[in-house]
Amino acid sequence: MAIKTFTTGEVLTASDTNTYLANSGLVYIKQQTVGSAVSSVTVSSAFSSTYDNYKIIYSGGTASSLNTLGMTIGGSSTGYYSIVHYSTFSSPTVLISEGNNNAASWSYVGYGSANYTSVSIDLINPFAALYTTYGAGAWPAVTVAGTSSGIHQVATSYTSFAITSVSGTISGGTIYVYGYRKA
Amino acid sequence: MTKPNIQIDDEIREMTEEEYAELLATGWTEEGPDDLAD
Repeated sequence: MAIKTFTTGEVLTASDTNTYLANSGLVYIKQQTVGSAVSSVTVSSAFSSTYDNYKIIYSGGTASSLNTLGMTIGGSSTGYYSIVHYSTFSSPTVLISEGNNNAASWSYVGYGSANYTSVSIDLINPFAALYTTYGAGAWPAVTVAGTSSGIHQVATSYTSFAITSVSGTISGGTIYVYGYRKA
Repeated sequence: MTKPNIQIDDEIREMTEEEYAELLATGWTEEGPDDLAD
């Protein structure tokens, strides 16, 4: 049972407390510590039938230079489409756009520099044999910032993903995987 | 040029020649741009 309405005078049991404390909307699945100077980090056994949709965050690391961070799903190397819209902090009213058009990876899921890494995306349907999409991709660089979204047009079920550095390498920090509870 | 490392879960190793060739084919470079907007 996902929710329960308690009534006045009802005994709050340990069982109910444990059950409903665990019934949050966003459920922790796993985390992966990132090593030193790697160009990609594959996180296995991240997706399953338990959840349809996922939240992925990569924080606490650094990049070897000003690197846009990318992603692949299940080792697939084709069918990635994405758009990033961004502006410079010095000229925020001027919109700039770039994208992937049937590329080997998504290239704009996050960003990193010598002082941070930042990936925060929602991933929709990676385990289902459907197209996978991501959204709410915050893309905060050092002199620019924007948002991105994308679609992987291969209708296959995947259980893993990889965070990639589109140039250079990344070091340290942690990749967190959460699932959106279904019921 | 030294091949970069890749990480699969907790295992970190140097890329194979084939993996490195695939990485270079994506346009990967050792150093990134100053910034996409520069």
